[in-house]
Amino acid sequence: MKARTYPFYFAGGALALYLIFFVIPSIMGIFYAFTDWNSYSTEVNFIGLNNFRTIFSSGAGQNYLHFIRNTIIFTITTIFLKTAIALGLALLLTGGIKRLSYFHRVVMYLPAVLPILVVSLVFKSILNPATGLLNTFLRNIGLDFLAQRWLVDIHLALPSVIAVDTWRGVGYIMVILIAGLMAIPDEYYEAASIDGASGLDSFWHITIPLLMPVLTVTTVLNLLYGLKVFDIVFVLTNGGPGRATDTVYTAIFDEFSKGRYGMATTLSTLLFFIMIILGYFVIRLMHRETEG
Amino acid sequence: MKRLVIVLGMLLLGVMLIAGCSASPAAPSATEPAATEPTAAPAAVEPTAAPAAQQEPVTLTYMASQGWIKDAELELAKKFEEQTGIHVDYQIIPADQYFSVLKTKLNSGEATDIFGGQSGKTDLQVQYDVEKNAVDLSGEEWVSRHEPLSLDMVSLNGKVYGAEIWDTVASNYFVVVYNKDIFEQHGLSVPSTFAEFKDVCQTLLDAGINPIYEPISDGWHHVLWFPMVGPRFEEVDPGLADQLNANTAKFADVPVMQEAMTELNELYQMGCFGDNALSDAFSDTNAKLASGEYAMSVTTLTAPVSIETDYPDVPAQTFGFFPMPLADNTLAPAHPAGPSKFIYSGSPHIDAAKQYLAFLMAPENLQYLLDNTPDFAALNFSGLQAKWTPEQQAFLDTFPAKSIVYQDAVNYVNPQWMDIGKDMVGMFTGSMTPEDVLASIDQRRADMAATAKDPAWAQ
Repeated sequence: MKARTYPFYFAGGALALYLIFFVIPSIMGIFYAFTDWNSYSTEVNFIGLNNFRTIFSSGAGQNYLHFIRNTIIFTITTIFLKTAIALGLALLLTGGIKRLSYFHRVVMYLPAVLPILVVSLVFKSILNPATGLLNTFLRNIGLDFLAQRWLVDIHLALPSVIAVDTWRGVGYIMVILIAGLMAIPDEYYEAASIDGASGLDSFWHITIPLLMPVLTVTTVLNLLYGLKVFDIVFVLTNGGPGRATDTVYTAIFDEFSKGRYGMATTLSTLLFFIMIILGYFVIRLMHRETEG
Repeated sequence: MKRLVIVLGMLLLGVMLIAGCSASPAAPSATEPAATEPTAAPAAVEPTAAPAAQQEPVTLTYMASQGWIKDAELELAKKFEEQTGIHVDYQIIPADQYFSVLKTKLNSGEATDIFGGQSGKTDLQVQYDVEKNAVDLSGEEWVSRHEPLSLDMVSLNGKVYGAEIWDTVASNYFVVVYNKDIFEQHGLSVPSTFAEFKDVCQTLLDAGINPIYEPISDGWHHVLWFPMVGPRFEEVDPGLADQLNANTAKFADVPVMQEAMTELNELYQMGCFGDNALSDAFSDTNAKLASGEYAMSVTTLTAPVSIETDYPDVPAQTFGFFPMPLADNTLAPAHPAGPSKFIYSGSPHIDAAKQYLAFLMAPENLQYLLDNTPDFAALNFSGLQAKWTPEQQAFLDTFPAKSIVYQDAVNYVNPQWMDIGKDMVGMFTGSMTPEDVLASIDQRRADMAATAKDPAWAQ
């Protein structure tokens, strides 16, 4: 340790900036979760765990647990859907389809390049029950019974948002998985086929284990994105119908705009800890699988 | 030890750097374009410009929400600049973000010289804290000409804090606008009870016509059905608003409120609002009414005139009006609260701002604003010439406004408007009952009262 080339304080400037702009505000943020900070008063009073108590006791009109439930459903479903579809597409575009495979990759990736706002506004119009493209198409081909009230039916709204988000996010995950697949040496597959392994065997015993580090990355990315989801929900349904699709971040936005800063900070603090805990376990779990 | 000193030194340097960046003298405003003429700006003394013997040209900044500032007012601002050399810089903010921006500016002490705000006692006290943030205007000349109900909406504890230049009747009344031709074709007459109203809807549904265009997707419009029936609540239960404000009554316990909320849900479940109400938008109201696709909608008294402007082959006389008939209501609502103008107490140009407000409210300028604003039929000041259509006049004569709507009369209702809207959609889609919606309103009122340290909720 004594053989360091540069003394410790060379990092001091960067450290000071990091401390001032990241560490201190974060700690202050967590502190505000224990206060009644709001826009109606200049006083900030310490109120202990009251905000947390409100979240977990959910009285009339304050369905915080419902928002957390929605966020978790959204996150888990999108992780599975995006990973499964992206893996299927990645396999197709690296092995199955030879012709124009680069073109297909670009097409699949395109939604990830578009701003979420634009995607959401376009889908909002496509999914309009009366005038939307989807229902008009379904009615024109005689499938009237499939024409649903996508974003305004209480049971379909969240699945519709999940579907749109999957469509938008799958290309991004696919590109990462393609890179992972291309890094697996062909020799393994050749050796396996000489030993008489079927395609499915190779997939389970070569592709998946070797792809695991990449899958860990995509899962963590999807997890963090899912827990923080805001814009797509905000534009597509604004948490509606009623509060059926409200997530933690739309609730935070709502609290902030009502001037209840303390409560909003509590929600984001809670989410911060959930993210740290889940992220840690996901990485450990998937890391162990690759080792085992 | 030496290392510690160095690290601490670096930290100190960083802090000083940041402090240096943020510390600026209390400048009046960052956006101060110079006015064109250096003419005298009476009473606007600038203590910052010490060496200059001449008065400096003043720019007043004015922040308002979209839709609050009419073109005619901008014209008046130009005229004001010609006369006094004081430039008025209007900053218009999109409606859905306005209150967040305004509250942030007020809280950080950076509000514009004049700021717009919705009037009403709760808003004045809780949203803008006018006693701290706004200038007392009680001594101004125009106060005596301001209509008393409107004046009350911009006053708090006996002092006038704002000026509400608005058409509080034609632009503020939300009533049922109906297509007279459709009613006539199906032998329908204006309903006076909820049962009759339901029959009207059923007849129209049977005839394949959508009864009511109700744009729920905007989030605010369907809420109108409830607090706008306030005069009826007051008629059935005299003194209810006072009891609600004193926290001796709760929405959820009032039978007439339960009745109104249940009936609104009934209308939705009957299909009176059409299949697509949850996706319908307010901006399409004129088109839907003009096309005859829908027979009715809840909108303002000026809607027929603006329909005629948009669709010249549909004359304004096609439409008539009646009050929202929930809970057998037959009363027109008085709704004196509206967009108002306040002078920021931290403004360095308070006198110039007062001068501008006095200019806007000079009788000839008010008349100019009224004559040149299509949405206005009258203004809330005495001594002006109104421009009612025969249909509007007939409505005003038939349905007198007895008492004021509940978003004005009852505290902590207006600020939770959009939340009530979300709960109502929950009711329409079956996740909440009418009782839940009312209980939820009570809950939010209690939260707001606690934040505002309202003594009625203290025990």
